[in-house]
Amino acid sequence: MMQALVTCRGLTKVFGKGELAVHALDGVDLDIHRGDFATLAGPSGSGKTTLLNMIGALDKPTSGEVTIEGTPLSTMSKAALSELRLEKIGFIFQAYNLIPVLSALENVEFVLQLQHVGAAERRERATAALHEVGLAGMESRRPSAMSGGQQQRIAVARALVSRPSIVLADEPTANLDSTTTAELMELMSRLNRDNGITFVIGTHDPRVMAHSQRHIEMIDGKIESDTND
Amino acid sequence: MNNFGILRTIAWRNLWRNPKRTLITLIVVTVGLWSILAFSMLLNAWAESSRQNALGLLIGQGQIHAAGYMDDPNIDHLMPPPDGALRDVLDSDGVAHWVARLQLPGVVQSEYKTLPITILGVDPAGEREISLVPDKIVEGRYLNGLDDDAVIIGANLAKRLKTTLGRRIILMSTGADGYLEEYSFDIVGIFDADQGFEDSYVFTGRSLLQEYMGLDDEIAQISFVLPDESGLPAMIDTLKAAAPDLDIRDWKQVSVMAAAMNSAMKSIIYIWLGIMIIMMSIGIINTQLMAVFERTQEFGLIRAIGLKPRMVLWLVTLESALLMAVGMVLGVILAVLTYFGFQGGLDLSGFSRAMEAIGSGQVLYPQFAPADFVIYPVLIWVIGVLVALWPAYRAQKISPVEAMRHAT
Repeated sequence: MMQALVTCRGLTKVFGKGELAVHALDGVDLDIHRGDFATLAGPSGSGKTTLLNMIGALDKPTSGEVTIEGTPLSTMSKAALSELRLEKIGFIFQAYNLIPVLSALENVEFVLQLQHVGAAERRERATAALHEVGLAGMESRRPSAMSGGQQQRIAVARALVSRPSIVLADEPTANLDSTTTAELMELMSRLNRDNGITFVIGTHDPRVMAHSQRHIEMIDGKIESDTND
Repeated sequence: MNNFGILRTIAWRNLWRNPKRTLITLIVVTVGLWSILAFSMLLNAWAESSRQNALGLLIGQGQIHAAGYMDDPNIDHLMPPPDGALRDVLDSDGVAHWVARLQLPGVVQSEYKTLPITILGVDPAGEREISLVPDKIVEGRYLNGLDDDAVIIGANLAKRLKTTLGRRIILMSTGADGYLEEYSFDIVGIFDADQGFEDSYVFTGRSLLQEYMGLDDEIAQISFVLPDESGLPAMIDTLKAAAPDLDIRDWKQVSVMAAAMNSAMKSIIYIWLGIMIIMMSIGIINTQLMAVFERTQEFGLIRAIGLKPRMVLWLVTLESALLMAVGMVLGVILAVLTYFGFQGGLDLSGFSRAMEAIGSGQVLYPQFAPADFVIYPVLIWVIGVLVALWPAYRAQKISPVEAMRHAT
């Protein structure tokens, strides 16, 4: 069998101590494969965001191990984890997704600049990414002059432009109306289908789940069901 | 554009996200630097005016005395008029003017009062070249010659003695034979200088005073000025070589008071500099801490995207550095404009009494010290950037997970 893109083994995450301790993750084992379009669902407090943070190298587990493309994260320094996020992971958050002082194009270019991509290539790739998400002609607009849906599209373009191994999205549609939600999900599905990009989306929105090929259900920090099993 | 380039763009634009806050800090920094430079120019002008006044009245740029005179200025420590090698140096192009004086401690007496003073026997023609006193006669005339049998006294001394122009006073001092000599003189002129000077000196013709004191041609001091003051240390050395037995000093050694005033001015500037730096530091820390606090989610986002913690530190520090740099440029421009605005002199004749009390002239000419316009801005900029490291460090410590949790 092909090696998994992401593997989580025995992941636990405990917040607080003693009687106040909360087990946000309680022994999670999970493999994410290349090309997956997975939704991570469950009620609030089920551990979706915590698990996405572990996979995204934003937080460290109390115990257990996450590996991305065979590399264990527990041994890496903060700077190395920053590098890993920059090169291999794209993020889409619910809010505060963009740098407000930069234009749409500059927001997308930002990641490429951190990757030391040359100016001409950077401009070309960022423009192409904005075209891809349907924002042609809006390159010079600041986020504050754009709708919530358009801002999330910029976030998708930024997440994709660095050609990451995986895109993690945490409640990407929480602030969007149903039309915009449908458009965004259609966009991400197409990118997965046509370009083979791996998505893991944390959500409890049924409209999002409807687009997923793989559905992972979490309850109380554990994986309750996984349509891949 | 490298990482620094994009950070610079973000930093610059962030400054203008909250224009009001940025402008307030900018005003503090700009006005702070301007005030330091303007204050420095004005204090230097004051220091220079006071120095020129003090030196111009009597001290000159340097003085020569017989050994022991400075410690015990009486008739036992006099010297002959300059001759030989010393005279050659004094008459050379290296010295613009010099005068010989007989200066003795004494007492002045009017019909009403007796006061201690210093009696100066001068060469009126020479004094006109070197001293401001001849120009400060407000009533009557200056002395006419070496044997002018008259005195000029200060306005305040005349007031204290309850005497006036045209009246007679008696001068007393110890003569060469050790006995008290006393002679009466007509007051032919009243001069106006600072009060301390007016109270201390009485002027008469040198030859006459020598005669009355039973002296031949002995003198107490030679005062000199150079065509260019920068040559003073070298001239002092030359004079010392020409007259190794005499006590030769520059103005700082002659008048410790004038020298102390000069260094006190510098201390005042440094104290002001310190106050301004503290105010500006508080402004910068406050601005940047507020900005960091407001942008917690944003820092979380850029850390999540892949910006290293060190780069966040750079970003915030860069914002402070840019803000300070703009303030420094504006402050320098403002100070230069101030300099040119008052280049013709700042007329403070409305405060003439106060100016006299501080030993200054009534018109101050701002002193442009190019080094100050480099050193102070650079110093303030460096300190501003250093204090901004604290908010920057706080920004660097923001955890992306914590920041993003606040966002949702």
